[in-house]
Amino acid sequence: MRRNVPTTGTTPTPPAGTHTTDPARRTAARGMRRWASLVLLALAVFFTALSPLMRWYAFPRLAKIPPSQYQDTVLEAKPATLIDYGTMKAKQVPKVTIVQTLKGDVAASDRIEQTAGRDVVVWDALSYVAGPDGKMVSEIPERYIFDAHSQEPVHATGEMVDGDPVRREGIEYKWPFLTEKRDYTYFDAQTRTSAPIHYKGTRTFRGLEVYYFEQTIPWTKVPLPKKMPVKGITPESVEKMGTTRWYTTKRMFWVEPVTGAPVNGQEIHKEELRGGDLLPGGGKVTAFAGHVKMRDDYADSIVAMVTSQRTLVLLLTSYLPWGFLVLGAALLALSLHLEARSRRPAASARRPSSAPSPASDEGVVSGGP
Amino acid sequence: MRALTAAAAGLAAALALIFTITAIGAPSGTTSPKPLLTTVPKHP
Repeated sequence: MRRNVPTTGTTPTPPAGTHTTDPARRTAARGMRRWASLVLLALAVFFTALSPLMRWYAFPRLAKIPPSQYQDTVLEAKPATLIDYGTMKAKQVPKVTIVQTLKGDVAASDRIEQTAGRDVVVWDALSYVAGPDGKMVSEIPERYIFDAHSQEPVHATGEMVDGDPVRREGIEYKWPFLTEKRDYTYFDAQTRTSAPIHYKGTRTFRGLEVYYFEQTIPWTKVPLPKKMPVKGITPESVEKMGTTRWYTTKRMFWVEPVTGAPVNGQEIHKEELRGGDLLPGGGKVTAFAGHVKMRDDYADSIVAMVTSQRTLVLLLTSYLPWGFLVLGAALLALSLHLEARSRRPAASARRPSSAPSPASDEGVVSGGP
Repeated sequence: MRALTAAAAGLAAALALIFTITAIGAPSGTTSPKPLLTTVPKHP
């Protein structure tokens, strides 16, 4: 842009950054460009290298379940069927609530990490089932030990379900980061076995894109809970009478794929007591049946938490790696441009010194009208 | 030669930054004092 300046008759000074006939200044400018291009090249390599390092090296080491995590979830079955131990008959109740708590044991994870050689999370979990009056129907404690990033089970002393030592295969409670559209192996705490949980498609849950998984456990004989809801009745006394507990469930999870966190869970759950002296003649009675769904306020809270965590994971897997790559390419282009300019001979240097140089006029601001 | 040196410096800085960040990692925190719940909480 030109601007008008009153003519004074003196030789105007060329503004900075314009070509000049002064060889010393021209050499200095060329040197500056060369240094700038080298600095830009270093920065270009820095950001370009950061891109894959961030995605493939830092992400698996930084994206982890914190060992101190504490989380509770409430699920409800409305209505539900429960056994009345007084009459040994099933009755319908308005509501059964399942309170599920996961609590990270930091000291135990530190101890196991020393031998496992990787970051480990130890979750003490409790599934507490409460009847409509709030009294305990059953409670199953678990200790679940897994790799903090990959979610792979880690086998160590203390791994258990309701006091029984187990050796888990597959996942439980949570999917790995960057969940894939495929079947996973899911551990079932009631049967103490693992079975495939099938990917059934992509859905939208409260504005989040989620993967829907489903697992059906067929009728299977399972151990009685160690803690029974009626005083005087123990699993041993029931087993002595020859009565067995059977269970089937259809388990459904809506999993946010970036974090691998389930944002919704449901179960169509049925338990029966069969045969023995309690139910003579091969009889059976429903101990618990209901369609268990996550309570709305907990679903809202989990969606909010997962949404914020999702941004952090995307920062490491997508936003920063792509941003660094684009920035690196731009800096490289700028560096090459400056390098090319520093090597280009000045126009004035190729002309005879006596001839008026147009380059020398470039910096002259406009004279008066 | 200068270009190679600059590129090597950039690469070394990137490696140093990533190794430092991953070595520091996140603090493991402490076990929550809250109990495993045996009552139904009113809200999350």
